[in-house]
Amino acid sequence: MCGIIGAVGRGEDTLDVLVHGLSKLEYRGYDSAGVALASDSIDVCKKAGELDELRGSLEGRSISGSVGIGHTRWSTHGPPTDANAHPHQDCSGDVAVVHNGIIENYQELRDELASAGHTFRSDTDTEVVPHLVEDELRGGADPEAAVRAAVQRIEGSYAVAVVIAGVEQIFAARNDSPLVLGISDDAYYLASDVPAFRDHTDRVVYMGDEEFVTLAPAGWSVTTLAGDPIDKDVETVDWDPEETGKSGYDHYMLKEIHEQPRSLRQCLSERVDELAGTVDIADLADLNPRGVQFVACGTSYHAALYGAELFRQAGIPAQAFLASEYTTSPPPIGDALVIGVTQSGETADTLSALREAKRRGARTLGVTNVVGSTVARECDHVFYIRAGPEIGVAATKTFASQLAALNLLALGMAGSDEARDVIGALRDLPGQVQEVLDDSGARAVAETYLESDAYFFIGRGLNFPVALEGALKMKEITYKHAEGFAAGELKHGPLALVTDHTPVFAVVTGDGEQARKTIGNVKEVEARDAPVIAVTDGKSDVERYADHVLRVPDTHPRTAAVLANVQLQLVSYHTAAQLGRSIDKPRNLAKSVTVE
Amino acid sequence: MVYTAVVLAAGEGMRLRPLTRNRPKPMLPAANRPILEYVLDALIEAGTEEIVMVVGYKHDRVQNHFGPTYRGVPITYARQEKQLGTGHALLQAREHVDEPMLVVNGDCLIESTLIEDVCATYDEGDGEPTLSVLAGPDARQYGAVVLRDGFVEEIIEKPTTDEYRLINAGIYAFDTDIFAAIDDTPRQEGELALTDTLAQELESGRVRGVETGGLWVDATYPWDLLTVAREVLAHDLTDEPEVEDGVWIDETARVHEDATLQPPVVVGPDCEVGPGAVVGPQTALGRNVTVGANATVINTVLDVDTRIDPGSTLLDTVTGQHVRFGPSTVVSGGPADVRVGNEIFEDERLGAVVADRVRADGNVSFAPGSLVGPGAHLHTGVTVDGQVRENTEVRR
Repeated sequence: MCGIIGAVGRGEDTLDVLVHGLSKLEYRGYDSAGVALASDSIDVCKKAGELDELRGSLEGRSISGSVGIGHTRWSTHGPPTDANAHPHQDCSGDVAVVHNGIIENYQELRDELASAGHTFRSDTDTEVVPHLVEDELRGGADPEAAVRAAVQRIEGSYAVAVVIAGVEQIFAARNDSPLVLGISDDAYYLASDVPAFRDHTDRVVYMGDEEFVTLAPAGWSVTTLAGDPIDKDVETVDWDPEETGKSGYDHYMLKEIHEQPRSLRQCLSERVDELAGTVDIADLADLNPRGVQFVACGTSYHAALYGAELFRQAGIPAQAFLASEYTTSPPPIGDALVIGVTQSGETADTLSALREAKRRGARTLGVTNVVGSTVARECDHVFYIRAGPEIGVAATKTFASQLAALNLLALGMAGSDEARDVIGALRDLPGQVQEVLDDSGARAVAETYLESDAYFFIGRGLNFPVALEGALKMKEITYKHAEGFAAGELKHGPLALVTDHTPVFAVVTGDGEQARKTIGNVKEVEARDAPVIAVTDGKSDVERYADHVLRVPDTHPRTAAVLANVQLQLVSYHTAAQLGRSIDKPRNLAKSVTVE
Repeated sequence: MVYTAVVLAAGEGMRLRPLTRNRPKPMLPAANRPILEYVLDALIEAGTEEIVMVVGYKHDRVQNHFGPTYRGVPITYARQEKQLGTGHALLQAREHVDEPMLVVNGDCLIESTLIEDVCATYDEGDGEPTLSVLAGPDARQYGAVVLRDGFVEEIIEKPTTDEYRLINAGIYAFDTDIFAAIDDTPRQEGELALTDTLAQELESGRVRGVETGGLWVDATYPWDLLTVAREVLAHDLTDEPEVEDGVWIDETARVHEDATLQPPVVVGPDCEVGPGAVVGPQTALGRNVTVGANATVINTVLDVDTRIDPGSTLLDTVTGQHVRFGPSTVVSGGPADVRVGNEIFEDERLGAVVADRVRADGNVSFAPGSLVGPGAHLHTGVTVDGQVRENTEVRR
């Protein structure tokens, strides 16, 4: 998981364009960064640490060139050091390479190159590429042919971009890692993601697997790895580049939490008709699945657990699987529809699981936020959650929009006896999320329990994924120990961890059997002197057993789960803010994980 | 030409309570969009390329609505932690402005012509402070200005007599010296008013004034939102496509074929209007509003997410956000004497003002001139007369 950027045709602005692009890609990794500019020679500057470290070391250095590439790294091979930062070079220093992905046969290539006399300076898999190119150049190949030959020798996942001294071009290729081109009138760009060059152009070309691109001041061309031309469509992206600003907030995460009413409206717009009691999910309504298997990771996995429960409520067998497990030990698929949930549409584990399902003949559906992403292109069907760009590494608004989107899918594919009520509740949701944001007491709760040893989250049914997500958010941004449990599991082990220094967040909505049983579990922890924070709509009497209450508006159980999650997002945010954590860029994490 | 604008959007607008419980006055609806949107529209039409927004009271609402840009124009937010007057608000923008600027109030609906006039007058001058003045509105409500030959002779805050013809329209052009001038203005009861600074400038130098014309609509009390909506509809300032004369409907709204829309009326995004419903005239539905079957909604502003169940009748009503009216709710309309605190406003055309998230279960009636506080829960069959406080439960 890394971010790459390249630019041709920007003359003296090249360096600024690259550094600006990297700042927009920092969400993909931020443990080191670097740039390479090509003129008659190659100038490289790279530094361990966040982008500001690179900016610092660029100051006072004259580094110039009219073509350039850049990289922001999330370590897979070798620790984050200056040496392991990209770009990497060959022995002569005339070739520089940036790469996102994992080269699976790098050890054997490295051994071969080393025995042929090449000297390696880093621990990375990437460094084999410049040396391969160097070999080809030495053998008399022209620059483009040399890069093609090198790319054809590597196996695994890559988005790779190469510049060569004396050549005013960038050569790049992709396989299983994202790469998109930006096209403007007098300059061309490539990047892992659109925001990197969105300030310069809104016209983009999405690269497919095993495609090769040459960018030159005079134009661009996409070919197969072997060199056969491919016709590519130039698409226009419609979102505003500045949508990625913080609009007065200290952190993207808080901005995105507050954007949830708006992103939910976008998700639902023109897809629900409350008066008719119908949803419109276009041709997906005709899929008629006899069973559903969800595959997903992280926060999206929690959304998948929720989605599977919705399908089961409609009488359709459904399960959620961790994508990384599904790939290596897949269950029998039968005639199930396999639904991959991934915010970025680039999550490597989820893509692998979907490919495995496809290979075994299953129909696949991608639920994603990113138009044109790999999952959108590879699945048989796609459904967009329309949350808008999310920059904070901890997913917030996209989780809420995933839950809303899964409600639409379940209603549209499987129906419901209470469709009209659910649709009404969905249409009430944006206003109710706003109500939680206006009146939340989460900050005071966060301040009260700042010094706790650990945080536990419990819930049943649809509130079980909310408990898991609440704990994940807490882990991600506060670095505190946090766990989510199905409320009934507490007594089968985790109760041993409960003390008066471990607050327990109990998500209890409604007053049915699940609420009553969860309240029983609340009493169990209360008896161990653990502070209890009830996240509730006030329908049950859980407040009697709670030290603090975080209220959510009274609504349908399906949307109550979304509202409860907003309260937990705010608790994690305020805890992390009080602790002074790096909220938008937590240590060791990256926004979308494009390695397995 | 002045390219930067400072928009003052930090004040609550206390006289508009209870509608300002969760948002500042600039975010209250003029027809079906916040007042502040029209202000920014006017600025952008007048050529503004950069906006500094001073926010304070319930600032989240402003930031979330507009985000980092509006119609492609970047917005920088400056926070005024305590609302200590318009001069103090402008000072908060200081670090973001290094060239001549327009300053406008975010809570008063204006047209671009007013801004263009101020810009043109400022450009003719030599960097003197410039303000717009307007004939028409009652000077006793605002501030009076006396002009002579294009210069301001006198500024009178809230005069008690009606001898003044011109008011200060609250649209200014300044160079960056204004910040130092505010610094030098003595505070009055802890507050810094921009008009105090201008009055002080009059003593030491010259202040230009331009008499201008065009749409300028201010809401002082909650029921004024009905008048504001009328003006918006009359001047065709809605965002939605006009599907027939005086009927504007967003593409994403669903209006049943058996519903009747009486012009002028605007139906916002994601709205649903059921069969047999009659909506309009003089009515605005905000985003995601639901009007159930056979409901009648006339001379009314329904804000975002409000839900009117079947068979209800609403006349002369203003609602806040996410108000829910159960079946057969009746607001029978003005005129009425409205009591606000110790003041009584006679013969206002007002059915009811119902603040954010009020819930009426069903068969609830409102006597003319009722004011219902946010979050109140009115149980089945209740008749509301007068004022209901925030979060009250009212049972029969």
